[in-house]
Amino acid sequence: MSANKSLMKLHEIYKSFGDNAVLKGASLELSEGEIVAIIGGNGAGKSTLMKILMGIYPLDRGEIFIEGEKVNMNSPSVALEKGIYLVPQEPLLFPNMTVEENVVIGFNENKNVLSGKLRELIKQLGWDISLSRKAATLSIAEQQLVEILRGLLREAKILILDEPTSTLTFNEIQSFFELMMDLKKKGIGMLYITHRLTEVFEVASHVVILRDGEITVSGPVANFTKEMLIKGLMPDNMVHAKTNSEVCTVDYTKQPVLKLDALTGYGFSDVSFSVYEGEILGLAGVVGSGRTELAEAIFGKGEVLSGDIELLGKSIRGLDTNEIVEKGLNYVPEDRHLNGIFAMADVRLNTTSSILSRLSKVFINRKQEKAVTQKYIDDFRIKVTGQDQTLKSLSGGNQQKVVIGRTLSSNPKVIILDEPTRGIDAGARGDVYKIIYQLKKLGLAILLISSDFEEINELADRAEVMYHGTNNVVLSKAEITLDALTQAAFGC
Amino acid sequence: MIGHIMLIIKKIFEKREITALAFLVILFLGVGLRNPDFVNAQSIATVLKGSVLYIFLAVGMTFVLLTGGIDVSVGGTLGIAAAVSATMIRGGSNIFMAVAIAMIIGSSIGLINGVGVAIVKVPAIIMTLGMLGIVRGVMIVYTDGKWVENLPDSFKMASQANIAHVNIYFILAIVTTILVQLYFSKARTGKYFAAIGDNLEGAILVGIPAKKMIIIAYVLSGLCASIAGVIFASQVGFVTSNTGVDIEMVAIAACVLGGVSLSGGLGSVVGSSIGALIMTAINSALIFLKVPSFWNKSIQGTLLILIVVSDVIIHKYFEDKARKQRLSARAQCLDKNLKNLKDTDISTESTLVGGNGQ
Repeated sequence: MSANKSLMKLHEIYKSFGDNAVLKGASLELSEGEIVAIIGGNGAGKSTLMKILMGIYPLDRGEIFIEGEKVNMNSPSVALEKGIYLVPQEPLLFPNMTVEENVVIGFNENKNVLSGKLRELIKQLGWDISLSRKAATLSIAEQQLVEILRGLLREAKILILDEPTSTLTFNEIQSFFELMMDLKKKGIGMLYITHRLTEVFEVASHVVILRDGEITVSGPVANFTKEMLIKGLMPDNMVHAKTNSEVCTVDYTKQPVLKLDALTGYGFSDVSFSVYEGEILGLAGVVGSGRTELAEAIFGKGEVLSGDIELLGKSIRGLDTNEIVEKGLNYVPEDRHLNGIFAMADVRLNTTSSILSRLSKVFINRKQEKAVTQKYIDDFRIKVTGQDQTLKSLSGGNQQKVVIGRTLSSNPKVIILDEPTRGIDAGARGDVYKIIYQLKKLGLAILLISSDFEEINELADRAEVMYHGTNNVVLSKAEITLDALTQAAFGC
Repeated sequence: MIGHIMLIIKKIFEKREITALAFLVILFLGVGLRNPDFVNAQSIATVLKGSVLYIFLAVGMTFVLLTGGIDVSVGGTLGIAAAVSATMIRGGSNIFMAVAIAMIIGSSIGLINGVGVAIVKVPAIIMTLGMLGIVRGVMIVYTDGKWVENLPDSFKMASQANIAHVNIYFILAIVTTILVQLYFSKARTGKYFAAIGDNLEGAILVGIPAKKMIIIAYVLSGLCASIAGVIFASQVGFVTSNTGVDIEMVAIAACVLGGVSLSGGLGSVVGSSIGALIMTAINSALIFLKVPSFWNKSIQGTLLILIVVSDVIIHKYFEDKARKQRLSARAQCLDKNLKNLKDTDISTESTLVGGNGQ
């Protein structure tokens, strides 16, 4: 790639988690003084690749060379020794320790020597940071600086920066870029993971695109335009034709079922949109754009600072979650293992758990419970051996169907689906899509949160794209293309 | 307003060693007002002597709590170490030999706990609770359910020895505390235990051998409990099958009182040792206040819960605040960002298009 000394080379890295192949022969090279931007959608394998380089995950197949020498990267301490340092997206500091303790921990050298070096380094960088402050009192930007100090004090030659700007404010970003330029001059090689294409052109010397576990595009930044990168981010043989050729039948003259009015909370601000009866509104965006925080706030789980949420014209802001469910809004959370299912319980309990109060006075009406469960098993073609099968033993797709069934059993008017097909195989995905269509036909208003733009493209009647906590772009059915979604989600 | 109050409470909780020490002094003065006998030299000496085994337990427990774990098996370890060492000494074997064997037993129990928690990933409370049951059972079998009595006077008298009018075991406990404190603050690996409890992922990332350190923490806890066992045998002069029962609560309460966080990552052994002194002093104060001693455990339990609950509330409050700050930072920079980025967009694009045209 360049005449500079090669710092690191990853050769054909393979890695699977279970049946899920995350990396399929990714190769990457970094030389002195280079900043290689790594871009790619969610789940493309960026973090996994970096964790392999850092020795946190063992690789299945492939080779790692550091300065031309093959290295068996089996633990973070090996990576640290070889001069690699990962600045994680969310700083991993020790909140109860001081800045200095945070930086010098894990070193083998004498403490006083280290302390002197650290002070020297800070002076050199011209940073204004108090070493005796506790890490818990630092802002995120300051925490990031501490992470970088850690790397520099270790005399890291390779810095991995995992979306460092995602939690910084604009001014902080500028000074961060200046710092990167300084480091670049010193010959430090950086791998720069980002979601923001503008940043690629601002700081990087090279750019690679990681897609589906492979490096599909790579080269000096000067060889690319933003349009080329956007194209590179999208899948091959992209089918623009939508599978549902039905004409959009949503009646936009009616009163919207769910209406957000300048809703602001933690992680999102000034979000306004409406969802209508029988409409699938796609809420697209990259991870961290504030969609889940927004959904949780609508559902009464997160705080709303200002603005209003209206359900059929009536405000539901400030109500408890169970009242909101009662009023006709329900939410299928993103991580069903964490928030959605009772893994050890059977299908029946999982389906009816949100309406037990309706099925019972004191004791549960078993007959009715069975009937409700059977209805959803039949409607959604959930593959089970019986109603008493434990949820844990179902496949991901079938678990998701049960969760959607449960949500429906509360007879909602609006349903929020947060990443409904994440971690589900292609067959079950089709089934879930069919279910979503069924819901649409039933006249439900559906808010579909997804990072999978193909999913939005296929299902949504309209799409709102979140970027940095607000919905800056609205796309009508005709305007929804992977192109447009990607551009808006990456803030272009 | 709430934020202000929380900040004040946090400040009080931050300098916990000092707060705890102040509490100890107030306790002595307060009880002394009711019954002046409580503050005379003899009574204080009794408290110091009585605190020795709690200090040892608390020192060991601190290692485990710092890593975010808990060790409820220390009472069992103390009991079996006391029984074994007492039996050996009564049988005429060398005192040092008996102490060494007790320490080996304690360390081994700790090793099993540590492996269970760090490698097999059994929740610490379950692992050590199960171990407590096992060790208690083994102890009863070992002693045949009988008391170990008639220990040689030389062994018993050792607990009465003084250096400069201070009990020798108490000096030993203080020296241990200071050494461990120096280790925590000065040694290279001293911060590792707290780091693991503070942020496990971060600890692994900076190359701390987390599993190994967790195992070491439990071994040290077992070791300290076995030393406490030997001290118990020497101080009391006999070992019953109930020796060490419920003592884990006192040890944990002592640590928490001294500022060790049950969620890990925070605390010092000096704090824990002061906490151990407080627990002993409360015990003793109740006698001087003529409160029936069966209230003792209820008071210890109440104190434990009160402190833990306030710790949790404070922790959660500041964690929530930090999370909100982080999320707002993401959303807030938007306006500025968008404007600025749009400007740069145009310029980058035009130069790029130009570059391509050449």
